[in-house]
Parts: sequence; structure tokens; C-alpha cells
Amino acid sequence: MSDEANAIQTTILNFVCQELIAEDMSVAVDDDLLSGELLDSLAVLRLATFVDQEFSIGMQPTDFLIENFQTVAVLSAFVARCIETRS
Amino acid sequence: MAIALHQLAIEAAGQRPEGEAVRCGNEALRWAELVLNSNGMAHALNGFGLKRGDRVAVFLTKSLRVPVAFYGVFAAGGALVPIDPKTPIDQAVRILRRTGARFLVSEVSRTSVVTSLLAACPEIKYVLGLNCDMPAGVNSAPWSTVDELASYSGPDLRIGSLDNSYIMHTSGSTGEPKLICHTHSSAIAFAEWSAREYGLTCDDRLSNHSSHHTCFATFDFYAAARAAAATVLLPPAAMMMPASLAELLERECITVWYSVPTALVQLLLQGNLAERNLNALRWVLFAGEVFPDKHLRALCAILDHARFSQVYGSTEVNVCTYYHLPANGAFPNPLPIGQPCAGDRALVVNETLDRVSCSEAGELLISGATVMTGYWGDPERNGRAFVSRSEPGGFEARWFRTGDQVKQDDDGNLIFAGRTDYQVKVRGFRVELEEIESALLSINSVREAVALAMNGEDGDAQLCAVIVCDPLVEITERDLRSNLQHTLPPYAIPSELHLASSLPRTPTGKIDRKALTLRYEQKTEEWNQSA
Repeated sequence: MSDEANAIQTTILNFVCQELIAEDMSVAVDDDLLSGELLDSLAVLRLATFVDQEFSIGMQPTDFLIENFQTVAVLSAFVARCIETRS
Repeated sequence: MAIALHQLAIEAAGQRPEGEAVRCGNEALRWAELVLNSNGMAHALNGFGLKRGDRVAVFLTKSLRVPVAFYGVFAAGGALVPIDPKTPIDQAVRILRRTGARFLVSEVSRTSVVTSLLAACPEIKYVLGLNCDMPAGVNSAPWSTVDELASYSGPDLRIGSLDNSYIMHTSGSTGEPKLICHTHSSAIAFAEWSAREYGLTCDDRLSNHSSHHTCFATFDFYAAARAAAATVLLPPAAMMMPASLAELLERECITVWYSVPTALVQLLLQGNLAERNLNALRWVLFAGEVFPDKHLRALCAILDHARFSQVYGSTEVNVCTYYHLPANGAFPNPLPIGQPCAGDRALVVNETLDRVSCSEAGELLISGATVMTGYWGDPERNGRAFVSRSEPGGFEARWFRTGDQVKQDDDGNLIFAGRTDYQVKVRGFRVELEEIESALLSINSVREAVALAMNGEDGDAQLCAVIVCDPLVEITERDLRSNLQHTLPPYAIPSELHLASSLPRTPTGKIDRKALTLRYEQKTEEWNQSA
């Protein structure tokens, strides 16, 4: 993984851990964020808003797909692809 | 009419044994399998000693196990207590204790929560679905028992149409959850009426959007069973990702949709619907909150081959009125809640419970087959919720007070005119919170709006509104205010307008007003959650 990809993943993971989940819970990069157990729909929206603003990727309605948001790892990969193609 | 809810599944299995009954992701149960497994569940519960009328709490995430457990409880003669898997533990404990449930159906993934529940509820003596160590005096059996006991014949029992079928709980976000008790008869009254009214057949595929512990499930599961149709459980992930949800609707060839308007608005705004082939969709039903007119018209335009129907009613009455939108889009705003369904009767009364004249607004009372038995173990609340009225001929009818204000339009359709408790007085003026919301929503860039009345000084209400705007449009509080000055009288313009990025939701997906009010009162959280 490149340094840049690593940095994206760390930023997103930190946001999820610090802002979106209870203090006594933990999240790994491959944990399912959309199972309904970790995050509610409000938290997922906050995550989308954060990612959009933090990385200025111009999130579109069509981007709200399970395959883009399911885990921190796939979300980071999605952000990296956006940065590459949309800049 | 069928006697009991599991009879609907048995008849569906007789009619279409190999037909799909329930689908969830890559897995599905055919009708014959569903009956086989639910009988296994019933035998397991009866083996534990369950007797007719005993309450069985079902605490499961959305999966194929849900219908197996539901029909299994009915076939065992039990009364189902479905518990929202997201219910905070203290709340779940209260529900368990108040219903006096001795039986609990759950699954391994919920072991830690169940362990806490058992510690707090010594009344629970039997747990099905877990294979961990149990406290002393608690019997348990794993889910595999259900498969081992699977059988085409259910327990040999007598079950009547007036036996309790389920006790549903409200979210009770600011207090005690209400426990709403239905009989088999009151659930079937709605299931049979709706299967007929929406012309359900075995070719239909119904979506199950809301959580299975809500009254939306009555249609999604039991009306489908009446017609031997399939129910497609929508996974939580799809609910959070509207574009994926739209994809799923196309892939699963959903023919009948039923949800709160909010879910449809999300599909409209983020689901990329124009790109999808949703020609299979023939009915779109919605209930639970006001559908913002501009979003409804936009959705009707995109899904122009589907019919739309607004259904109305709280869990206490299943559904009690309905209104089919005319196919040509010529529907009024506000949208009527329409006419009573399933043989129910409607009566509009004033504060002294006297019938009002046709043009006047008043509280809606409902009497008929879809109405609940009452709130479980709560005589005081039942005393407030029901009124008896004598009728000509020496008859006496029991009416449920909906707490909703309605009036009649020229066509005799009922129009929702606000919750009785959403009417507030501001400096002596009567204000409807819905009017403020509708004024806000008529502003182009406003996606969602909630008006709240807070207790101000001197007992006067103070109005505030929380607004979610289109993120691509720059709009300020001042812009909103100048807009509102054109549409609302000065006293109805909220003194505080808060811009937020999203709103809290109830388990059915409605905007959670109580949570918003609480957040405002406590001022513990930032309005703009993403800030």
C-alpha cells in the first residue's frame, strides 16, 4: 500500500473510531460498517460528509453504494480512486 | 377469513409449496420449507412447556430466521413479542418484564446482549437459539433443534382468532414504550383486506423495508402470505446506501413497496432511479408521516408506471384508512388519508367527543376489525385510548382515539390536519407545526424540515425548526427567513432556524421528533452533526 493510501485509511479509521462509535467499541479496517450493528444511518451519513469534505472528492448520489462504503478498507480505496480520476 | 396467522403460511404452502416465501440476500425459503421450519420452532417451544397465550420474545437481526420464529410462535400457540434488535438494553428489559415473557428466541451473534438480558430478567426460563452456558434454572437449545424437529405437522393445539397474536412495542424514545396487543383476528383483518385491495398474487414480490418488529411487517409478511407471494427482506446495508437499494429493487423484481416516505425520498434523491429498470413495481405504499408534496410528485413522475397509495394508521389500528393517488398525477395537496379500510368505521369528534359537522376539523376515532385489543397490562392508558359511544338500537361501540386531527374534503375523503399534540399556541395564536414544515419544504433547496415547539417562558411555546438543505446549494438562515415571510404569518415563523446535515431517525425510518426535541432541550449536541 502506498503512503498516500495508508494516510487515507488512517484518517478514515480515526474518524470512525473517534467520532462515530461508542468509546468501548473498536473497528478494524475490514469490519462491516453497514451491518447495522456498528453504525446507524445517521453515522453513515456523517462518515460520507466527512470523507467528502476531508478529501474534496465531490461525492455524487450514485456513489452511495455498498461496495464503496462496506468497510474502512474499501472506502479508502474508493477515495483514492476518486482523487485520481476526479482531480 | 383465516383464524390464525400461521394458517396463512400453511395455506400458502399448500397452494405453492415450491414458491419463494422469503428472500434475504443469497438465501431464500420456499413456502413448504418455511412451514416445515416454523413447525420445528413450534415443537421446540412446546417442548420447553409453552402454553397457549404465553409470551415469546423474539430478539433477532433481520434474516430468514425472523419468519421462522414468527410463524413458529403462532403455531405453538404463543403471543409474539418482537423486540427491535437495536433497542437499548434497559428498554428491552422493561419490555420483557412488562410482558412477563418466559421464553426468548435469539441467536449466537447476540449472545452478549442476551446474557445481560437474562441477568436482569430472572423471569426468562427458556432460551432458543443460543448454545452458551446459561444461568442456573434457564433451559436452552441451539437453532439446530429447530431443524431437527422440523415437521409438516405442527403441534396439536387449539388456537382461536381472538387469541393474542403479537404485542408490538413503540420506541418510547422519551419514556416507557407502549405495548400494543393484537389478536390473530385484528392482524388478519388488515392482511386479508390489503391482499385483496392491492390485488396481490403469487407472482408478487413485496419488499420488507422497515424493521420486522414494526407494524409494517403485518403487510410485508402476512398480506404476502395470504397471496402466497414472496417477501424480500432488505438488508440494513442497502437501507443506508440508496443507490444500492435501487439496484436491489431492480434485481429482485420488487412489485410492491411499503415504507415511510423518508425512505422513498432518499431513493428519489440519491438512488439514481432514472438509471434503473423498475417496471415490475406496480404499487408503492407509504405511511407514517407526511410525504413532502414536491418529492412525491417527482417520484410519481419517475415511477410513472406504478400506482401510489397512502395508507394511514398507527400500530394500534394496523392501518385504518387509505387513499389511492389518481394515476394522472392530479392529487391534491395536502394528500388525503382517504377512506376507512377493511370495514373499519371513522368518526370525527370535537373536544367533548361530539360528532363535528362535515367541514369541521376534529379528532379521528376508529372502530372496527383492525383495532388492537388494547395496551398490554395498562388499564389506565386503555381508559384514555378508548371511548364507548352508544348507538341507535341500544348498541354500544368501542372507539379508538387516534390523537390525530382530521377534516373531510368535498369528496368525503379524510384529510390529516396535524397531531392533536402538534397544535401549539404561540402568543395566543394557534399554530400547526406541519404548516411550518410544509412552508419550509416548499423552498427549493430544503430537503427535510422539522418544526418543534419548545416550552418557552410563561408557558408560551417557542418555535424552532431544524432544516436539512441540499448540500450543493449555499443557503443562509437569512435566506430561509425571507422566504418564510412570504408564506407564513409572522407569529408562525420559528424564532430559531438550525441548519443540520442530517436528522435522527426512528426504527421505521421516520424523522425522530422526540430525539430532536430532547437534543434541543439538553443542548448537549451540536445541531450540525458533521461540524
